Amino acid sequence: MNEEIKDEEQKLSFGDYLPSAAIVGAIFGLVSFIVGLFFGYQQINAEPTGSFFSPSMLSGFVICLFTAFAGLVAVWHFTKEVTPFMKLGQGAVLGFLTGAIITILSSVLSELWIMLIDPEYMDKILESTIANMEMMEMPESQKDAMIEGVADSMGDGQSFLRQLYIGIPISGLLNLVTALIGVKIFAKKAEESF
Amino acid sequence: MKSKGLYLGVLISLMLLVLFSLGGGIWGAKSTIGHWTGDLFRGICHQNPLRSFHLDGVQMAVNSRCFGVFIGLLCGWLAIPAFIRMGIKKNPFLWYLLFAVVAQIIDFSGNLIQLWENSNESRVLLGWFLGFTATASVFDLFTNNN
Repeated sequence: MNEEIKDEEQKLSFGDYLPSAAIVGAIFGLVSFIVGLFFGYQQINAEPTGSFFSPSMLSGFVICLFTAFAGLVAVWHFTKEVTPFMKLGQGAVLGFLTGAIITILSSVLSELWIMLIDPEYMDKILESTIANMEMMEMPESQKDAMIEGVADSMGDGQSFLRQLYIGIPISGLLNLVTALIGVKIFAKKAEESF
Repeated sequence: MKSKGLYLGVLISLMLLVLFSLGGGIWGAKSTIGHWTGDLFRGICHQNPLRSFHLDGVQMAVNSRCFGVFIGLLCGWLAIPAFIRMGIKKNPFLWYLLFAVVAQIIDFSGNLIQLWENSNESRVLLGWFLGFTATASVFDLFTNNN
């Protein structure tokens, strides 16, 4: 019976991981896109205060904290739906894949939003971000460098591929770590079934 | 120790994460914002210069809390072989991780509602604690008898 379990583990293919990664990645990607959009319009419609806790900065904290848990949730889903037995490496693959799907989906949705719904969204965000930065209390040289950098990096509009290129490794790695924690919490060891 | 390939792969990735999070200063850039290191972390960190450490006068690519988390992740990962050698039977780090998450939320909320004002030093320490407990919590999965 122990061998059966090992056989079961060896039979797992990319297609076995995909549903858990896709479902959890889609939910987390969609929620992070909506939260980002909500805080984005909050920022656009707010008066610049110079406060560190601007809506867009808050959204960064919320989205980062929220999406980092996707790897853990994907492992939970996998152990419920595919097999409760999971190796560390399998958890790592699932976590990275989930992080990649979150990045891809949220980037696609952002592109679609800008292309179809609000073509001026990025310009408005850039304008309000700079207006808020100008009100911040910090040395002028530092402020100017920050505004210039933001204008450079946001103003040109990052290409879709560049968003993926820089987003997937970081999101993938963070979700890989939480997926390993998920393996520890949710996955069963083969010996435990006997 | 098992899963050595995975261990080494993640170790290298975490080292690169810490290296890149140091920002544009070590790559000769005058500013991190707008530099590729800044772009790399823009989606996950607010990169406020007032809440970040600086290297050679150039702010790091992430704020002090995120930098603490990254350093903590790396330290916890580096400590895994040591924990295995020490033969620790029960892994307490999952509970510490829970405590670290709660501590982050309390610290962030207290600062948000102006109960107290945290500093770069306090943020980096709390971040380190979170990162360290996150990776240390899985050390027993690398033991051979697991």
